[in-house]
Amino acid sequence: MTNRGIPSAFLRTTLHNGIGRYVCQLQRLTIKFCKEQKQSRGVRDFIENGLVDFAKNNPSVAVYAQVKRHRSPALVAEYLNGKTHIIPVAEKEAAELLEWLDFLRTRSGEDLIRMRKSQHTFSPSIQGAWTPVTNKQVFPPDFTFPNNELFQAHKFTESATDILQRLARKSTSKTD
Amino acid sequence: MHDRRRVLQWATFARSWWIFDANHQCPFQSANRLCLFLEGKHKPIYHPLSDCGDHVIVINTKHIAMPDRFWRAWRHFHHTQYAGGFQVQRAWQVHREDPTKILKKQIYSTLTGNLLRKGLMARLHLFPEEDVPEGMLRNVSNQIRQVMPVPKTLEDYPIEERESFPRVFEWPEEYVVKDGKEFERQKEYLDEDLSLSKLQ
Repeated sequence: MTNRGIPSAFLRTTLHNGIGRYVCQLQRLTIKFCKEQKQSRGVRDFIENGLVDFAKNNPSVAVYAQVKRHRSPALVAEYLNGKTHIIPVAEKEAAELLEWLDFLRTRSGEDLIRMRKSQHTFSPSIQGAWTPVTNKQVFPPDFTFPNNELFQAHKFTESATDILQRLARKSTSKTD
Repeated sequence: MHDRRRVLQWATFARSWWIFDANHQCPFQSANRLCLFLEGKHKPIYHPLSDCGDHVIVINTKHIAMPDRFWRAWRHFHHTQYAGGFQVQRAWQVHREDPTKILKKQIYSTLTGNLLRKGLMARLHLFPEEDVPEGMLRNVSNQIRQVMPVPKTLEDYPIEERESFPRVFEWPEEYVVKDGKEFERQKEYLDEDLSLSKLQ
């Protein structure tokens, strides 16, 4: 697929979330696991040891644990904007699960797609758009171009003639 | 797009016209400066893929000043793609044929070699003297600063300034100063000699 065909978006936040107050966008978390199979062992460990702490620390998130017999385990996160994010966690350790949960908890729920730019603004300029006459000297209509008096090159150093004249002026002023 | 936004877009990308006086200017330094304006690099909206350059009028291209011994040493190459079609011309020969060509070729080679270059060159208007068409001159809204100061000849200084110029010593009254026309006098003398020899 071409790069242009891949869905892309600009960086954005949900309803200025975090300016003033922060609302956790994760609303519901369902942990699906099997009681018997080996690939759910890490999830079972986590449910025994860490799940209650996680639920206590995040009272705004509804946490469910669902037993799915002989199915591979998954974390299903549902967000305030109606989007669902599923992470398969087969053969994952409990410590790694905690990191995935942290990722899901801090997300906005927007689709994870290619960012066109690493920065974006919805108000590009407060001063107004730039034009060729912005901060430029505008000449009156009767001004005639070219004007070589005004646009001659800057003279940064003294020429030999200038130095001679300066020295001569100095010597004459001394004698006077 | 909203009407107001659309007009703002026009204003931002409007092309302005600049004028540059090439009198006693180095064509290499001038090309570097003029390319900034042709490519639009003097604008904050510049992007290499957007065609946001300005028009540039260059006058007095006949009176450019080549540095060092470049009038003799700087070479322009051309090949007609036929066997034996290779040509080399010195800068003074090129300048004699077309007084705008040296600056034009220098700007062409200074511009980035991409698909925009042809369009950018079309926005460059070169004139050997100061006679710019009236309609073109009316578009000009600003001038590009010269790259080097124009040297003043003795005639450019007023007589008072010439008289008051500091001197280490004064020539004696009876001393005969050469008026700098020695070469012309010699030439006249030679011409007379030649004409005499022809008669004989």
